[in-house]
Amino acid sequence: MNLIELSLVLLGTSVVAGVLGSLLGLGGGIVIVPVLTLVFHLDIRLAIGTSIVAVAATSSAGAAKNVGEGMANLRVATFLAMATTIGAVTGALLSGVLGARLLFGLFGVVLAASGAQMLRTHAPRVAAVSTTREIPALGEREDRLGDKLALDSAYYDEAEQVQVPYVVANKGVGLGLMYLAGTVSGLLGIGSGVLKVPAMDLAMHIPMKVSTATSNLLIGLTAAASAMVYFARGDIDPLIAGPVALGVLLGATQGSKLLRSIRADRLRVLFVAVVMVVALQMVWKAVA
Amino acid sequence: MAANTLAYGALVPPSPHGVRAAVGRVLRLGVIVSAALLVGGYVIGVLSQPTAFTSHMAEQAHLQARASFPHSSASLWAGIGHGQGEAVIVAGVLVLILTPVAGLLTSVVAFARRRDWLFSAIATGVLSVILASFVIGWLTA
Repeated sequence: MNLIELSLVLLGTSVVAGVLGSLLGLGGGIVIVPVLTLVFHLDIRLAIGTSIVAVAATSSAGAAKNVGEGMANLRVATFLAMATTIGAVTGALLSGVLGARLLFGLFGVVLAASGAQMLRTHAPRVAAVSTTREIPALGEREDRLGDKLALDSAYYDEAEQVQVPYVVANKGVGLGLMYLAGTVSGLLGIGSGVLKVPAMDLAMHIPMKVSTATSNLLIGLTAAASAMVYFARGDIDPLIAGPVALGVLLGATQGSKLLRSIRADRLRVLFVAVVMVVALQMVWKAVA
Repeated sequence: MAANTLAYGALVPPSPHGVRAAVGRVLRLGVIVSAALLVGGYVIGVLSQPTAFTSHMAEQAHLQARASFPHSSASLWAGIGHGQGEAVIVAGVLVLILTPVAGLLTSVVAFARRRDWLFSAIATGVLSVILASFVIGWLTA
């Protein structure tokens, strides 16, 4: 294999990672890191550096269109970014203090549990959406702060061909979960879309499509913060990160289009499937 | 203008389209510039060192026994100055990393222009945390 062929293989793999990442609100590291380390035997340091670049690519290309069209909720993203970025810094500072094995194990269990919960809440949520359309408030407007933040919004669902209004619930709990998600990503060096999406979906009652699109906006900000460190350390090799970045950009652009037309319930099942794979990876790291 | 804003006040949806559109434009611009640099840098690399790109060897050898590549601002500028393909790719990667931050900066300004001081302040807070982590990162790297 020569370098050009290698680049093409990386490009192709990254297109898949980009589609999956932008569709599900994840960074795509779950595809990129195993491929680089297991198939190409790349040093884990360079693989993680490359994966951070992939997260930035997924975020920007995925959110470019979705934020303008209101699929991603910019106000929710900005509000929650306070917690995720402070969490990421906390995690980076704490890394080395806590045992990685215990963390991976804990993380895996939390992920599996939230995945299972997401499948369980699936059926009633659809009914809840149609009720919300008739009674917009649903008694969930909790406080004056909520009115000031004006996080509630609506998106147009192409698959169902309806405007779906939604009320953002439990903002305090959401902030707390996002802080934890940010800390975990800082500690373990993983993108935490897998935690951010369930937090928005389960705790804050944000529709699935809006959750993944908004997670896309969020992960770019946390990635930017750590990516500069990886760059300065020399963990970002241009001949690997370049083709990967380009592939992810292409894939994520397609993924964001697919997000508009996919059915929300199928998206949820796909997300849970991927979450379970990640959970297994984490538990494996804890016991292996 | 003021009367217009007042009249609209109650009706305008929570996230004014202007802010979202502005952020979307900046993200798209970052993606396009970055993609151009990534492709351009790669083409320059292949044209200037054709044998390095076409010689056959085990992929591990390609990936692990590589000469050093630019990873500081000084070596980056020097590399671009010498028309080095790898340096142009690195520039593309950096544009990509900074694109979400540019989007955030845009929202700080766009929220402020719409007199949404609360969100302008929140976005500024997020931006300062990210800038602080840049500084911590550079110092500890």
